Amino acid sequence: MDEPSPTADPLTNQFGSLNDLAHELASLQDLATRGSWRSILDKVSRARSLNLLSNPHDHLIYLSYNVLALSKLRRFTDASNELDSLHDFNSHHYKYETYPQLYPSRSGSMVPFSLRFIHAQLPIKLGNRQEGLDRFYLLLNFVRQRIKEKESNSLQESVKIWKKRENFVLNCLIGHHLGAKEFNVCLDLIKDLINHDYLDPVLISKLGYIQMQIGDLEGAKGSFNRVETMLNEGKDDGSSFLGEVEFRNLVNRNKALVYLVGKDYVSAVREYEECIERDHADIVAINNKALCLMYSRDLSDSIKVLENALERVPTVALNETLVINLCSMYELAYVNHSEIKRTLSNWIARVAPDDFDASCTRV
Amino acid sequence: MSTTQQGTHSLAFRVMRLCKPSFHVEPPFRIDPTDLFVGEDIFDDPLAASNLPPLLSSHVSKSTDSSDLTYGDRFLLHHPSDAMGFSGLLVLPQSFGAIYLGETFCSYISINNSSNFEVRDVIIKAEIQTERQRILLLDTSKSPVESIRAGGRYDFIVEHDVKELGAHTLVCTALYYDGDGDRKYLPQFFKFVVANPLSVRTKVRTVKETTYLEACIENHTKSNLYMDQVEFDPAPHWSAIVLKVDSADDSTGGREIFKPPILIRSGGGIYNYLYQLKFSSPGSAQVKVEGTNILGKLQITWRTNLGEPGRLQTQQILGTPITRKEIELQILEIPSRINLDRPFLVHLNLTNHTDRKLGPFEVCLSQNSAHEEKTVMINGLQTMALSQVEAFGSTDFHLNLIATKLGVQRISRITVSDKREKKSYDPLPDVEIFVESD
Repeated sequence: MDEPSPTADPLTNQFGSLNDLAHELASLQDLATRGSWRSILDKVSRARSLNLLSNPHDHLIYLSYNVLALSKLRRFTDASNELDSLHDFNSHHYKYETYPQLYPSRSGSMVPFSLRFIHAQLPIKLGNRQEGLDRFYLLLNFVRQRIKEKESNSLQESVKIWKKRENFVLNCLIGHHLGAKEFNVCLDLIKDLINHDYLDPVLISKLGYIQMQIGDLEGAKGSFNRVETMLNEGKDDGSSFLGEVEFRNLVNRNKALVYLVGKDYVSAVREYEECIERDHADIVAINNKALCLMYSRDLSDSIKVLENALERVPTVALNETLVINLCSMYELAYVNHSEIKRTLSNWIARVAPDDFDASCTRV
Repeated sequence: MSTTQQGTHSLAFRVMRLCKPSFHVEPPFRIDPTDLFVGEDIFDDPLAASNLPPLLSSHVSKSTDSSDLTYGDRFLLHHPSDAMGFSGLLVLPQSFGAIYLGETFCSYISINNSSNFEVRDVIIKAEIQTERQRILLLDTSKSPVESIRAGGRYDFIVEHDVKELGAHTLVCTALYYDGDGDRKYLPQFFKFVVANPLSVRTKVRTVKETTYLEACIENHTKSNLYMDQVEFDPAPHWSAIVLKVDSADDSTGGREIFKPPILIRSGGGIYNYLYQLKFSSPGSAQVKVEGTNILGKLQITWRTNLGEPGRLQTQQILGTPITRKEIELQILEIPSRINLDRPFLVHLNLTNHTDRKLGPFEVCLSQNSAHEEKTVMINGLQTMALSQVEAFGSTDFHLNLIATKLGVQRISRITVSDKREKKSYDPLPDVEIFVESD
């Protein structure tokens, strides 16, 4: 079946800009990238009360931003209640073909997929891990069925998107099993992904980190060697998720971990510095370099590295894990550490996005 | 938890256990903007399929853009595996944690001068005290720290291999001249308890010339333990090989991404190892030494978080005691055809393994506790007398038997007794025969 060429008429182009997709979508997206989740809640509330949302898809997209904002603000119960108000994602109310005047010759579900994802993740954040995992596995099944359907109807673009979603759900699952230290399940899931030709250097590196976390150092080295070979042979999964700088930094960071684990902190720092030289915003390299300095008895410099990063590249450095590390270092370095932590805390309050979890400063 | 002496001190110790850091993992709420901007099935629409991707690609960051000064990475997926929430960021240990026998205790110790004056000639000591001993980890007596300025610090890292169970105290002391020129002494104590990480249960079985050792390792710690090396260290004259189940043949040949690790689950998980042991004495004949025999020891190396190692070895593992047989009774020959109600001869041999004359003996078919009726009996006198057998000697004889039923029958419980010592030896195991009609 021939794909029709993109329409050239700007008046009937429904896909010219974000605002064509939904009412003031560009503004919502802008707020989201700034981390202004409270403003999003305000905007959604206002749009609803002033009846600015005319179409069913607008309602769904605004609901998605609302649920996402509530989740980001850790208001998980509120997010859950809002999701529940939809009752059934698969209802005909959320299908394009139910509104033929609005969506002529379009069929299928208009539910944004992120709602299904959030629906699975919320129970886990609310402490009901088993329910969440069940939902994720059901979602995986659901996605796989959609892939089969789209394949049999030769809908190539849809197949691509749903396969991306399959990859996404699998990665979510690996993350949740990893958090619960269910390592053998993680290894099986990753093996599954790799066997499905997701020949991805980042994924294989993460396999290495899991092996390292378990203590299988030989296994980790094997995985890292594989990644380095992929760099040298110019291979990746072809979707070019990784730019060259990123790829090289990945390989250097993997090398650094091997040194770190062998207690050769000097060499680890050297690898991380190569990364930072290439990319000043490589926050994993910066954070881990600071830890190496501390393990080499250089607490003062480790603190300087982290403080420096917060000053230079706040939008990447302002990360709960980095702040936890810095606060642990303050607690060790200063007998009266509350003052310096309060200074940090105040700065964070001015600069941080709405979803930043300030409890990490332990002030 | 530390306790300090009363009185104001310019110096104070800050201590942090430095076990290896861990990888941070927390699956985030990060999404692909496609999954937020449009309905999930919109790409079924061919118009959308061709027009949307160019619009969307401008909103998906494909490479790190360091000029991007937004918090977009906190909510957008940059790479599919970002959904794992596992980026390789390391976190410092957030609590002391548990410590086990066989591990290495490592600690960052910082001595801070929180006063407004310099302190001089600081002699710092760090030692571990247990019930049994004191181990010195650091001592700057020979070259005291000349001075620590106001607001300054002196740092050091100590390590100690934990070889005892129970209460341990890290004692840090500083002897210094404070701002007023007074010689001050500051002791600080940090207590921790060392627990047992594993228990090992063994079973020994002997089959003919081979001894099998089964070792079951149970994990009592709060972490999963990666079994890096579990090796059996045999005693002199013993050799050991480990028996493993071969993992399923990798038919994909070479596509093996990694070897599945041996990981013992925390809080009670177990794993079994099987060793085949053989005894070989330096002489040509096999000498069985009476009494208990020491087989060897198990050496265990495990790893936890980021390869943090622990090492233990078991005590000596003992095999089953070997008792020397005094008397050996063997069946040498049974006729190939045995007919119903017709007597037949069974050829036996009795050997005396001791260094003294034994006997005289009696041989019979003894009753078992159930007093089952025997279908194969001695034809004639129910006990057969045998004369004495010389030291290390043997004697051949024939038992005259008769079978009273057809089919598969058993010659059961051929028993030899020593008449003089009034002692019966264990009966021979049952022998099956096939009884035919004439």
